[in-house]
Amino acid sequence: MASIYKTLSSNDITTVRDLLHEAIPLTASIVSGTYGDNNIKVYENDLFESVFDYPYLSSSANHIFDLTAGVSNNSPLSGAAVAASLDPTPKINIYNEMAQILAGFDENGSVREFDRDGDLSGGEQLREVFVVNFARLLTKDEIKKQSFTLQVLTGGTVTSPDSLMTISDYKALTQYKINSPAGEYGILYTGSAATAGTGVGLIYYQAGVAILTASLFDGDAPNYIGPNGANSSVAADNFETSIDLFSSGSISGSADAFRNRLYNISFNNTIEINSTIYFCRANNNEFNYSSNPTYLSASQIVVKNDPQENPLAYVTSVGLYSADNELLAVSKLSHPLEKNPTDELVLRVRLDY
Amino acid sequence: MAFLDNSGDIILDAVLTDTGRFRLAKGDGTFRIVKFALGDDEIDYGTYSRNATTELKGMTVLRTPVMEAFANNAGSMKYKLLSLTENTHLYLPVIKSYANGNSAKFGSGTAAKYVVAVDKSTVDEIVGTTQLLTTGVLNGYQPGQSDHLIIMDQGLDTGNISQAEPLDSQLRETQYSINMDNRLGAPVQPTGTGSPSSATVSFIDDDNIATYILSIGTDKNYISELPTTIDSSLGLTSISGPVGTRLAFRIQASTSLRTNNYLFTVLGNTGATSIGNMSSYRYIDSTISVTGQTTGYRVDVPVRYVKKI
Repeated sequence: MASIYKTLSSNDITTVRDLLHEAIPLTASIVSGTYGDNNIKVYENDLFESVFDYPYLSSSANHIFDLTAGVSNNSPLSGAAVAASLDPTPKINIYNEMAQILAGFDENGSVREFDRDGDLSGGEQLREVFVVNFARLLTKDEIKKQSFTLQVLTGGTVTSPDSLMTISDYKALTQYKINSPAGEYGILYTGSAATAGTGVGLIYYQAGVAILTASLFDGDAPNYIGPNGANSSVAADNFETSIDLFSSGSISGSADAFRNRLYNISFNNTIEINSTIYFCRANNNEFNYSSNPTYLSASQIVVKNDPQENPLAYVTSVGLYSADNELLAVSKLSHPLEKNPTDELVLRVRLDY
Repeated sequence: MAFLDNSGDIILDAVLTDTGRFRLAKGDGTFRIVKFALGDDEIDYGTYSRNATTELKGMTVLRTPVMEAFANNAGSMKYKLLSLTENTHLYLPVIKSYANGNSAKFGSGTAAKYVVAVDKSTVDEIVGTTQLLTTGVLNGYQPGQSDHLIIMDQGLDTGNISQAEPLDSQLRETQYSINMDNRLGAPVQPTGTGSPSSATVSFIDDDNIATYILSIGTDKNYISELPTTIDSSLGLTSISGPVGTRLAFRIQASTSLRTNNYLFTVLGNTGATSIGNMSSYRYIDSTISVTGQTTGYRVDVPVRYVKKI
């Protein structure tokens, strides 16, 4: 019986999963430089600000990450006395929102604080934090473990920093944590030799969120940090410590201050591709003729002179069909491929999801 | 020891067609790939040098550039490769329009086409006082009121083999698919004078192209065996050699075409070339594709839907 379709058996179909990674570099020139603040969108609610890769009023702009800041209820900065000049509630709310999603709740139903070493049974908590929420456009399915690096300028003034601090998820490939309701996370250290309990932040791989302790900027004095960056004098607008910043500035002010100290961020994202591979097997006695109108001249096959010659046809496409012969997917070869009775072909057709 | 030649194992990336995406989005289980076909749409076998030396025979064909896949399901995989058990076939069947008598087309030459009058006033205008529908005009308003129809014959269209020879059974079409724009019309039975029933639609894709699968076992009104005694020299078939089967159908115009002018405005034009007694009308040009499900041979039939202004 002549046929133009061949049924795929279960042995002809398999599924595979591939992980693709892209390198994502974010330089300080994007975050605070090239576009002034035209690529920084500040919202009326002042709970966070968004960073774009181009002035955000342009349709070409892509949202790359959000910045915000939060303090725990247990932080001294949440107290009315310290925060008399500014209502601490927005920062507390932000901290609680991020913590309940990323750190979860304890057995009493209270929001857990971000834990410095990821060991929830004890140790220090990160109670005053900068939060970097990366857009899914960049992180895709997740951030690749042990690929995250963030560099901040520290010491001196905003315009004349003393040093460059590199923060990374060192050893995360083998030492990541799984006790978060938001998936896997790693501890951020300032050096590869850093030991447990000396982390300065957390990186949540699937959620695409970095938590950084505000105390990053509280080392060697003076260590000025402020919202107006290079445009302001040290005395007028900048603060000597991040504690001063948090207790005196708004969330967007804190976010601006962090941006002005940010030097570089880089990581690899991960795209999970699930594929079905169809093994389209053309045996020696199959697909050797064509229904192409040019294949015939007055019903005679044009590629052979006498009946004893082998027929042949050329393949340029593979179509995948439903049971009712509807074309669901199609793939093309890069060049025509000859098929004749002396050849067998296995065309592996991959359909990605 | 040399390396193995694994060039016969090729990895290709497939793209979903618009219908594939449509079915995937529906989530009703209709997206299920169960079979494959190989196509050669770009190939012009006329460039194959049958009489050249072995290595040069297919040189031009192999250099044919292949286009990227496009997502329109109706535009891809139009011509498929065919599996036959013997390698000794020198002739393959074709499907040919039998444009004669009641199935003649309107016009002549490459402009010949079937004309479908979509409503009563159009039919009345064309008929005029003659009480006869013009040759090549189908009554799309009441198909049962006219014996005009479309006929496609299948067989080996060659004078090199006697028509008395039987067609190889594996080359005989027993199932046809008809693809046509569902917004314009539907195929109906070729016989009967009342209200012949429409064919059962198999599916309608996202571009409103309806597919009707007709089988000789279940759709005897549409498909019939051509007798081996049929004589093409007497004008009884369009096939010169051994004959296979015949597909016949009439067309029922859609309600949309009958009741409003929207599609004529969007897709069509106005015409002044007389059709019978009608000289002013709106029209939409379309094609109906007929494909043999056994051999994959496909032919496009030009159809013009007309409506009196």
